[in-house]
Amino acid sequence: MSAYRLATLMIFLLLHGLFFFGRVAQAETREKYKRTTENYFVPDVTLVNQNGARVKLHSLLNSKKVVMVDFIFTTCSTICPVLSANFANFQKRMGAEAGNIQLISISIDPENDTSKKLKEYLKRYDAKPGWDFLTGSRTDIEKVIKALDAYTPDKMSHLPLALLYSPSGKRWVRIYGLIGTGDLITEYGKML
Amino acid sequence: MKLKSGLSYHVNIALALSVIPLLTVLLWPEKARALETRTSGTAGITEEEALKRGERIYREGILPSGKPLTAFVQGDIPVSGKTFACVSCHLRSGMGSFEGGVVTPPTNGATLFRPPKMFYKGLEVKSLPTRRPAYTDASLAAALRFGIDPSGRIMSEIMPRYQMQDKDMELLIFYLKVLSANFSPGLSDSTFHLATVVAEDVEAEYRNAMLGPLEDYVRRRNNAAARRASYPPPGSSEATDVSSMRLSLSVWLLKGPPGTWRSQLEEYHRKEPVFALVGGMTKKEWRPIHMFSEENRIPCILPVADFPVISETDWYTLYFSKGFYQEGEGAALYLNTIEEALKDKAIVQIVRESPEGRALSAGFEETWEGMGHGKPVTVALPQGEALTGGLLQKVADRENPFALIIWDNSEAAPAIGSMLDWKNRPGMIIVSSGYLGKGMWALKDEVRDFTYITYPFRLPESEERYTGIVKSSLGIDKDPGDTTAISKKAYSIIRVLNDALLGINGQYYRDNLLDAIDMGRGSAGMGTVVQDETYPLYERFSFGPGQRYSSKGCYIVTLSKGPKPQLIKKSDWVIH
Repeated sequence: MSAYRLATLMIFLLLHGLFFFGRVAQAETREKYKRTTENYFVPDVTLVNQNGARVKLHSLLNSKKVVMVDFIFTTCSTICPVLSANFANFQKRMGAEAGNIQLISISIDPENDTSKKLKEYLKRYDAKPGWDFLTGSRTDIEKVIKALDAYTPDKMSHLPLALLYSPSGKRWVRIYGLIGTGDLITEYGKML
Repeated sequence: MKLKSGLSYHVNIALALSVIPLLTVLLWPEKARALETRTSGTAGITEEEALKRGERIYREGILPSGKPLTAFVQGDIPVSGKTFACVSCHLRSGMGSFEGGVVTPPTNGATLFRPPKMFYKGLEVKSLPTRRPAYTDASLAAALRFGIDPSGRIMSEIMPRYQMQDKDMELLIFYLKVLSANFSPGLSDSTFHLATVVAEDVEAEYRNAMLGPLEDYVRRRNNAAARRASYPPPGSSEATDVSSMRLSLSVWLLKGPPGTWRSQLEEYHRKEPVFALVGGMTKKEWRPIHMFSEENRIPCILPVADFPVISETDWYTLYFSKGFYQEGEGAALYLNTIEEALKDKAIVQIVRESPEGRALSAGFEETWEGMGHGKPVTVALPQGEALTGGLLQKVADRENPFALIIWDNSEAAPAIGSMLDWKNRPGMIIVSSGYLGKGMWALKDEVRDFTYITYPFRLPESEERYTGIVKSSLGIDKDPGDTTAISKKAYSIIRVLNDALLGINGQYYRDNLLDAIDMGRGSAGMGTVVQDETYPLYERFSFGPGQRYSSKGCYIVTLSKGPKPQLIKKSDWVIH
């Protein structure tokens, strides 16, 4: 390698490094997701879980565990896999503590999402006990997603949302945006 | 690949460091060339095999080793190819998607390896600086591994950063080069060639009820296209010129036994390659046509078929519903909601040995057993042997069932009527409206309370207004009588086809036609709650990625008493 080429490479790397670290600093100050505290009144509808069992929604919400809710559907191609991979990774990283957290995914495509499909979906993500996926009648599902301000008329334009609920404090935290597991763990910590 | 997102500190460090090998490659052109021509992934195998392996990585996220791809998304979430294959977001055609606010750009062969065209208000603007240079093998590998595009832009963290060895990367890139690289067959002289497959077992009256509106649509559309070609509106461009495309519709008539259909289809297609099959009709199983579509990768949009292929994974045929199978499925789902049915008593189905009987019982059994219940007792009823009250009673006495399911035609109605005199009558009789047909209305008043009917359509009183809409839209002035349902299906075929043609947006790939339907492109709000309820016949008519049966529901109803019975809903449209 000639000295000239080496010098060119060094200058390039230096400039690129400066460019990247500049971007890092900029990114660190940017808001990654929107976090708000909400008051929701959730109707106590009966939905159906991945095992075909009928479940009163309030029985899951008020199990004394911190609850995380998201809205997905089994054939969703873009944002649901990210939300679900995050739930799966969250369970994994929390280890034994995962038993103290109730994860709930609610289908926004109940026409297609049968309990059998929900079960297959959870299996694909290696879901552990404590993560339930619910479907049900369109009327009941709509009642819930409207109460939780997650309604969109078109399933293809649904929202990247995670809602956290602390039954002891009776408060909801709404996370708008796709986040990593580290952020989810931080948010969980704030609910305790 | 997705653009615009925040960065986590650690990922940025990793990315900054990871650029070193990329820069090394870019600064030493001879090294870059070496990478582009290296053949460790594709060496020693045929081009066909290399494409097959690349396609498997793209579609299933499975490497030639049989292991899934591994990657990270959102900075710190490890994911597997089982859930994060390229196809999820970039779709089968590679044309990308827009879902949940995330824009996934195209990654097909025709797009990746040249700078993207820049558009402003639908018009290509050549003076605008391009968003990125053309990808090379090396820069594409960097994008897949590190999420950096050739202009140095960092992609969104939702784009997985794949951990791939060079040999696997080569296979994937080899596949991407041919993915939607050239427009599909069936396109010539600004004309989409389409065909409708009709078997000769369909009476002319029914055939015409479908073909008439389709041919009329093609005629009207071509007239509009001709006008548009003469007076192109200002601002027309590649992105909008689909409305200038003509359609041609051939009728592929299938003769003789179904075993010969495949070779007839291949011959038709050899003579006239088509972009897609539209509609179609037979009273027999659709399987030979389904397999033709699947193996030749030709979309088939909404054939009128009572016996579709039931598959969770096949891709190319989009059906109205699962036909008779769906009624069997509905019966099983309904029984599953009744506590008494889940106790120890038997569930018995009497099944006529006919295509209808087999499809209904398959739908019932597979769904019932899929929910963890035991196999139902099945009594076969040979063709030609009449169902009698005596036979029903004998079966009921022997099995003492909670539910007696009768998958038979209209001649079963008198036998069901004989149950009135039984001491140990089952709690519930289940029949199919589709198979029982007009026999349904002949059920005696006294058996109507306990005879549950699978009804896979919107109830008649709610459906009335859709009949008016269809008649006026298709220009039908007389009562279509027995062909009403076919006319309604023709109306839906036209709507879906028209939207899909708009949705492919100048990208004339067969897979893109299905992707457009899956993703609800091409119409204002197709796939929305409001739109789904505007189709005739079915309570809801919805699509979604990979969903191949548009109507997913089936009511369970009973008949009210009297000479003009009403249907009384006993279940939701979709039963959970």
